[in-house]
This record gives sequence, structure tokens and C-alpha cells, in this order.
Amino acid sequence: MKTAVYGIGNILMGDDGIGPAVVHYLESRLDDDVTLEDLGTPSLDLPNYLDGFDRVIFIDAVAVDAPPGTVHLFTRDEITAVSTGIRVSPHEPSINDALIVMDFAGNAPSEVTLVGIVPETLEGAMTLSGAVSRAIPAAAAAVMGELAKGRERVAVY
Amino acid sequence: MSRVTIDPITRIEGHLRIDVEVDQGHVQKAWASSTMFRGIEKILVGRDPREAWLFTQRFCGVCTTVHALASVRAVEDALDLEIPLNAQYIRNLILIAHALHDHIVHFYHLSALDWVDVTQVLKADPRKASSIAESLSDWKGNSTKQMEAVKNRVKGLVESGQLGPFAHGYWGHPAMKLAPEVNLIAVSHYLQALDYQRYANQVVGMLGGKTPHIQNVAVGGVQNAINIESSATLNVDRLVQMKVLLEKVVDFVQNVYVPDVCAVAGFYPEWFGYGKGVTNYLSVPDLPLDGKSTKFELPGGFIPNGDLSKMIPITGQKDERWRRAVTEDSAHAWYKGGGPLHPWKGETDPNFTDWKEDGKYSWVKAPRYDGQPAQVGPLANVLVGYAAGNPLMVKWTDAALGKISAIAGVKATPAMLHSTLGRHGARAIRTAVLSELAVKQLALLTDNILKGDTTIYNKPEFPKGEIEGVGFHEAPRGTLSHWVVIDNGVIKNYQAVVPTTWNASPRDTSGALGPYESSLLGTPIADAQHPLEVLRTIHSFDPCMACAVHMFDPSGNNVARVKVL
Repeated sequence: MKTAVYGIGNILMGDDGIGPAVVHYLESRLDDDVTLEDLGTPSLDLPNYLDGFDRVIFIDAVAVDAPPGTVHLFTRDEITAVSTGIRVSPHEPSINDALIVMDFAGNAPSEVTLVGIVPETLEGAMTLSGAVSRAIPAAAAAVMGELAKGRERVAVY
Repeated sequence: MSRVTIDPITRIEGHLRIDVEVDQGHVQKAWASSTMFRGIEKILVGRDPREAWLFTQRFCGVCTTVHALASVRAVEDALDLEIPLNAQYIRNLILIAHALHDHIVHFYHLSALDWVDVTQVLKADPRKASSIAESLSDWKGNSTKQMEAVKNRVKGLVESGQLGPFAHGYWGHPAMKLAPEVNLIAVSHYLQALDYQRYANQVVGMLGGKTPHIQNVAVGGVQNAINIESSATLNVDRLVQMKVLLEKVVDFVQNVYVPDVCAVAGFYPEWFGYGKGVTNYLSVPDLPLDGKSTKFELPGGFIPNGDLSKMIPITGQKDERWRRAVTEDSAHAWYKGGGPLHPWKGETDPNFTDWKEDGKYSWVKAPRYDGQPAQVGPLANVLVGYAAGNPLMVKWTDAALGKISAIAGVKATPAMLHSTLGRHGARAIRTAVLSELAVKQLALLTDNILKGDTTIYNKPEFPKGEIEGVGFHEAPRGTLSHWVVIDNGVIKNYQAVVPTTWNASPRDTSGALGPYESSLLGTPIADAQHPLEVLRTIHSFDPCMACAVHMFDPSGNNVARVKVL
């Protein structure tokens, strides 16, 4: 199973950089056959990085009503259930848009998980807040947990 | 009279907001504003200028490469540093490949749904669609069988009760006019475009090391080791692979994208009459052909009042008038101060009030050229090229106008390009020109390498004291410039004047409207609850606004709010 782990977010905007920060933390901790990349804020370009993969795990800041630094997992269905809105600029399309477009084209990855971290601040800065910074190991563990699930399945079949 | 606000909301409130006042079915007043503070230049103050590009390419998720290259050009300009020919060609290829990718995505995946009604596809006759498409070009992907497969795919989507990627389209809107078969052709090409934009992006990745954040540039050149015999470097194999990818993209652009835009234009000729706005056009020369960046493949200039005969050329980054002419005014923007400041003296000190229609109402400053608002983007690029007599710009402009005339049954002229559809047409024309130049730049690079030149880098040396530089690039959305002040080898001030700042500019001290605002005046609105017409004109500029933050909102709050008062 071809697998990718992608961090999403802008490292110049405070806790929005959590996705890239977790990717950095995971370097040298994952198997070589897993593609690991900090994608920044790819928006409409995202399908280019999903094509050819069976399984993708995203790490991104999420707008959830929960304390900063908490980690929340979302399934593929939960992601694509989010309605795509009217688009004014090419930045707005998100993970859900990429999957919906690829479902229509017939080349979307079948297994998708979002490891979401609640941000504290999104002000322009290259540092993470304390709460979000402390969440890096937990978010990384969530990613590794998802990857381990895949291995069990391979072993069963 | 009603007031319509289009305001895509996210938790971080960082988007383009458009307010229009509609009376008697037409827009009477308009305001464009950005709801997000964009002060990220401040992060650069105190840093090493050789590293600035690594940060600037994070300004924006869509246009990473353009900010990387404008940054190294600005520092090289400050140092008067010449770069090797190979570095120019490699940078040019990256910029062209990025633009090819970006323009294809803009038309098919962002703005085509303003004109294409997906639900009409179900009424289309695949055989007829195939024959219409084949009359427009000899593209291989237009068979009846292919059209039938796409129709079935759309049918499956509609029967599932969801419209997937098309759920946010204004389908069924009274302003939709394409024949069912043309809608089918468009959706078929939408799917094919997904592959062709990717080929262009792959070229960016091959030269840049990776995408979306390229790794290969440096102040003084590039870091692509060249050895025609080594598999680890830029070699003959890689040059051939890029040629294969680019030729596929050239074929798609010339035989699918250009004819599709002409066909859509032919069905909506009235949209050559809307969306004109500011007709001062600014475009900078790009694709340098010498190490000192004094000769360019494409010309630059400023056109006052839409009069092509009065075009004032911009000769390069050293052009004295250009270096003086750019200012930013914050009379109506949420910053301290007000009157125009040159970017080297630019300030980014926030002063937020509420949204006030007669006061401050945007985070975007108002850039001005010789004190006047200016429209930037592919239309400015094409008009300047046309005015300068650039052979490729003239060739593709005339070809596109000829095709539109044949479809619409009216004579299309260059004067009609000052419009909403003109901006789409110009983007297709520019893409066709760039597709030819992609092949040319690759040949120049290959020839230079085969001649034995493998130089890629000249080391920068920073003097004591203060120096200033400007780096520009004619990016997919228009003129981009980075302005840097360096003191004893450290960044003292940095300002990026981005294309969308020119176009989304608010009013200035004198009250002059920015291009978006001005372009919306007089636009007819059939249904204020569904202001498709406003989106058509705004999308035609290709806004790139919420550059900084990305966050997934599982509650679905990232939909646009349309508020009618």
C-alpha cells in the first residue's frame, strides 16, 4: 500500500505551522517506504500530491471547539461530508475539495485520515504556542498509530 | 436598492470580501477588502538576505516559486550581481512551467463553473459534442466514446444526490447560456486538465528539487549541479524527460485551453461589455536572456487610460522611472499613516478600525504607479506585449480574436479585451505564448550545456553600509515586486507588493477606486441572492488573497456567506 504523510499549514503564521512541525518531528522515525512531506498550504494543488497513493494521513490545524493543543482524528467520510463553498480565491479549497475532485476523476486515495490539532494563535510568527508545541509528540503518535493499523491489515490478508 | 456582501468566512477571517450596492439591477457602488492582516514581511527584518527566499516562498501556498524568485532577484539587484546564463534559463523554465500549471488550474478548476452548467451535461448528445469539439481543434481526446464516458460519470454523480466538486456551482442560474454539448466538452476537459496541469508542475519539481517548496535557487544563481553524464545531476536524460512533459502541455494549451476559452467567449459575447474597470495597465519585462537581466523575452510597460499607442516601456529592474513610480497608500487601509510611501520606506504598522465605507476598510494597501491605480495580470501582460509588437503576443492575440469572431458571429477586436471575458481570453493567450517559450527556453538551456558551460552560481559579497534593491517578476496574477533594504549585510526593510494588492486595492487618498471595485460598476445582477455576475468579474482577475493561513474547518464554516441587505 503506497502511503503518504503530509503536514499542511503555514510556518509563518503561528500555530498554523503545526502540520509542518509534526512532519519535521517524524523525520527519521518512519519507515522508508512512507512518503513524508511538508506541503505548506497547497490548496488547489493538493490533488497532485495525492495521485498514486492508496493511503494518506494529513496533519493540519483544525477549527474545533476544544482546548488548544488537543489532538482530534477525522475519517475520510467526515472530511468529505464538509460542503465545498463558493470559491473566491484559489486558496480556499481545502482537503475536502481535493478528495471530492479526485473522487469524481476516479483517482482518489481510498484511505484518508486527518490528524487535527487545535491552534491557540494564528498571528504572524514562526513559533508555536506552548500548548500546541507540547502536542507534537501526541500528534506524531497518532500518525504512527494510524500507520500501524495499516500494517496489521496487511498481515491479516 | 440592496446591498450585497460576499464574504467567505473561516474562523480566522482571512479572505477577500466584496461589497456592492445594487440598484435597478445593476451595481452602483463597490468595495473590495481583505479581512486579514498580511504583515509577514516583518518576519524578515534582521535576517540574512541570502535566506529571505526560503521564507518568502511561504507567503503564499499557490505561488511559492514566484516569491522565491522575486526575493533572490531583489537581493541580486541590490548587489548588482550578475548570474550565469544557465541559472537564468533554469529559473525561466521554472517560472514558465509554474505559470502553465497555474493558468490551466485557474480556468478549469476555479472559474469555469462561472460559465459552465454541469446539470446541463445530462441533456447533451455525446456525438454532437464530439463533432463540435473536433471542429474547434484536432485534439485527440474528443471522441464520442470519451464524451459518453464523461456524461455517464456526471450522471452517476447527479443520481448519487450530490454534485461533488460542482456542488458550489451556480447551476441552473438564469445567466448560464452554454449549449448542453459545450457544457459536456468543458467537463470532459476539466477532467483532462487535472493531468496536464500536473505535467507542468512535474517540471517545476524536476528543476526545483521538489514542489511545492523549491530548493534550488540561491542569491547568485541556482544550485542545480550540471553534468551531462552524471545521473545525480541535471543531465541529458532529465532534459529529455522535461521536453516530453512540456510538449504534452503545449499540445493541451494550444488545442484545448485556447479553443475552450474562445468557445465560452463566443457564447457570452455580452461579457466583453462588462468588467472593464481601471484601464491603466502595468506589466514588467520577464524571462531575462542575459546574466545582467537587461534583455527579456517578454516586454514590460505602463499603458495609461487603455491607450496602447501611449505605452511607456519598462526596460528592466534598473529602469529609473519604474524604481520611482511605485508607492503604496494606506488612507483606506488598516495601517497607521495614510499618504503614499515608496516600498523602500514602506511601513506595516496595523491600525484596525471597523469596516467603514468612507474610512478604512481593508488590510490591503493601495499601490499606485505614478500616483494612479493600475490593473495587473495576464491582460496587462498581453496588452503591453501587443503594444510593443512582440511577435508571439501579436500572433496568439490575433488567433484568439479570429476564433472568437467565428464562434460569436461578431468581429472581435483588441478593444473588447478591456472586459471580464477579455481577462480570461488574455490569460489563454499568455499561456499559449508561454507554451512556445517553454520549448524555446529548454532549447537554450540544452544548447548552452552542450556547449560545455556548467556554471550555475556567482558568490554574493555584501558591502558595508546601506543598499537597496528591487526584484520583479511577471507572475501568473501579474506584476510582483519585492523591495529590500540591506544594512551591513542584514535586512533592514522588506516589502512585497503582490499582484492581488494592485487589483484588490481599496480607494486611495484621492478617492480613486481600485481595479476590482471599478470593474464591478454597472454589472447587471439578475438575482441578488446569487450574485454570479460579481463572481464572474472577480474570478476573471484570478484573486490570490488569503496567502497566509490554512486551516481545516470540520464544521463546514468555510463556505462563502452571501448577505443581502
